[in-house]
Amino acid sequence: MKEIRLNSVVPEIFANRNDIVSDVWHTDVVFERGKHYLVEASSGTGKSSLCSYLYGQRGDYRGVISFDKEVISKLNINQWCNIRQEALSILFQDLRLFGELTALENVTIKNRITHHRSEKQIVAWFEELGIGDKLNARIDRMSYGQQQRVALIRALCQPFDFIILDEPISHLDDKNSDIMRDIVLREANSLGAGIIATSIGKHMNMDYDKILRL
Amino acid sequence: MRLIWKLLRKHISVFELAIFFVVNLIGMAVILAGVQIYSDIRPMLTGSQPLIGNDYMIISRPIERVGGKTPKITTEEIEALRNEEFVSRLGVFASSKYRVDAGIEFKGNKLSTMMFFEAVPDEFIDVDTQDWHYEVGDNTIPIIIPRNYLNLYNFGFSQTQSLPNITDEMIKRVELDVRITGGGRRDHYNAYIVGFSDRLNTILVPMTFMEWANSYYSNDDTSDATRLIIELQNPSDPKVVEYMSEHGYIAEDRPSESSKAMFLLKVCIAIIIGIGMIFSLLSIIILTLSIYLLLQKNIHKLENLVLIGYKPIYVAMPYILMTVILNVTIFVMSVIAVAFAQHLYMGYIEETFGVVLSASPAASIVAGVLFTIAITLFNLSVIYRKITDISKKRC
Repeated sequence: MKEIRLNSVVPEIFANRNDIVSDVWHTDVVFERGKHYLVEASSGTGKSSLCSYLYGQRGDYRGVISFDKEVISKLNINQWCNIRQEALSILFQDLRLFGELTALENVTIKNRITHHRSEKQIVAWFEELGIGDKLNARIDRMSYGQQQRVALIRALCQPFDFIILDEPISHLDDKNSDIMRDIVLREANSLGAGIIATSIGKHMNMDYDKILRL
Repeated sequence: MRLIWKLLRKHISVFELAIFFVVNLIGMAVILAGVQIYSDIRPMLTGSQPLIGNDYMIISRPIERVGGKTPKITTEEIEALRNEEFVSRLGVFASSKYRVDAGIEFKGNKLSTMMFFEAVPDEFIDVDTQDWHYEVGDNTIPIIIPRNYLNLYNFGFSQTQSLPNITDEMIKRVELDVRITGGGRRDHYNAYIVGFSDRLNTILVPMTFMEWANSYYSNDDTSDATRLIIELQNPSDPKVVEYMSEHGYIAEDRPSESSKAMFLLKVCIAIIIGIGMIFSLLSIIILTLSIYLLLQKNIHKLENLVLIGYKPIYVAMPYILMTVILNVTIFVMSVIAVAFAQHLYMGYIEETFGVVLSASPAASIVAGVLFTIAITLFNLSVIYRKITDISKKRC
C-alpha cells in the first residue's frame, strides 16, 4: 500500500455542520508511505473516529477513503483481515488487549497468525520498554501505561505499510515515550512504512512531515 | 489455537451443553431406533420370509337382486385386469358344476350334508403340504377349508354345546365320504382335510380335480368366472380402490391383514420418528440459543480477534470443533444404544415368531450419518453467520 487517500471525508454526525474548520474533514488528504504524520485534535473532534475509519472498524462517514485507489468501503471482511495482517497496523487508544491472557500471550496471539517476529525479538522489546519482568503477568493486573507498551509490541508483530498510533503515549512518562518513539521509528524506517499518530496534546517527539489539525 | 481456546472457552455453559447433549442423544437414539425397527421388521411383512403374507385381494361383482343369476366376469375383463400395473398375479376361482354331498360316520351314525367345492390355481394356496395333490383316477380328494370354520366350531359352537374341541391334527384324520352327482353319473370318493387357509374363505379342492370333474360330471362348458383372486404389487396403491369401484367390483377381506399390519407399522414408526424429531428439534434450539448466548458473552473478544487480523472462520473454529465433537459423540452413542436395543428386540422376535432376521445395523448408521451431518451443518451455519455478523459490524 503506497498511499491512503481521503476525499471529502466527514463523520456523519458532522455532515450538516458548516462551521467545521479542519485539515482533514471536508477536504482531500493523502497519507504517503514512508512519511510521518501527526493528527492533533481537541476532544470531540473525531480523532478516534478517523482511526476507526482508516482501520475499517466503522463506516459512518461521508466521502471516500481509498488505499491505492481501492475504495475501502467495498472491501469484505476477509480482505480486511489480510490488510490487518500485512499492510496496516494499529495501536488502539483503548488498547483492546485480552484481560485473561498474560502480556506475552497477548503478543503471541498476534504473532501466531503473522509469524513475523521471533520470540527473542519480542522479549527484547519487553526489556527495552522496561516491562521485562511482566512477560507472564496477566494483562488485567498491569497498569495502563504498561498495557500501552504491550499493545505497541503487539502492533509491531506484523509487516505494515502504515502504522496508526492512537494517542500512543497518553499514559507514559517522557523517558518511556522516547523509548517507544525510538522503537517505532526504527521499525517503521526498516519497513519504509508511514506513521500516522494522533494526540490531544502530548505527542511523541519526532520530526513529522506534516501536522494536521482536526 | 490453544490461546484462542483459552480466550473463548470462557462463558461456555457446561449445563446448557449437557442438556443439549442428553436431549439430542435421546432424540437421535429414538429416531435411529425407529428407522432400524422399520428396516428390520419390513422384510417380515413383505420380504422373503413373510410373516403374514403378501397382499391378496379377492374380488367379485355385487349381487343385485334376489333370484338373479350370479354376476359373471368376462374373459375380456379378466385380461384388462391382468394388464393393470398394480396386479402382479391373477387367478380365477373355478366352482363346481355338479352336486356334492359329504358325510361322516360318527359313532355309527351317518351325518350327511350338501356341499360345494371351489378351486384356485395352486400358487395362491397358502397351505404348505405335500398332500395337496390330485391325479385323475385317484379316489381320494384333498380338501382345504378356511381356518375360520375350525375357529367357529372351537370357540363358538363346542363351547355352548359342551362338545370337545378339535385340533388341526384330529380333523386331518377324519375321513369324509363324498358323493358326486352330475351328468347322469354318481360316484363315491374319500376326502381328507389337509390344511386350513387364512386367506381363502371357501372349501377348496385341487384345480386338477376341479377341471376334470367339471368336464366329467357336467355338460355345461361355459367358463365364465365369478370370483377372482389377485396379488397386488403395492397394497397401499390408491389406484386399486379407484379401479375396483370404477369397474363395479367389490372386494372381500379388504384391507388384508398384511396391509393393515404394514399400515400400523408405518404409523407406529412415524410416531416414533416424530417424537425423536421433536426431541432433536428441541435440542437444536437449545444448542443454537446456547451458542448465541456464548458468542454474545464473548462478543468483545471476538471483535478484538477480528480486529487484530483473525479471520472469522478461524475465530469460529473452537465453537465448530466443540459442536462437531458433541454431535459425533452423540451419533456414536446413539448407534451403540440402537444396536443394543436391536439385540433385545431381535431376540424377542425370534422367540415369539420363530423368524430369524439379519441383524445389520446399517439402516441406523446410514440414517445417523445423514442426520448428524444435517445437524452439524445447521449448527455450523448458525455459528459462522453470527461470527460474520459480529465481524461485519466492525468492518
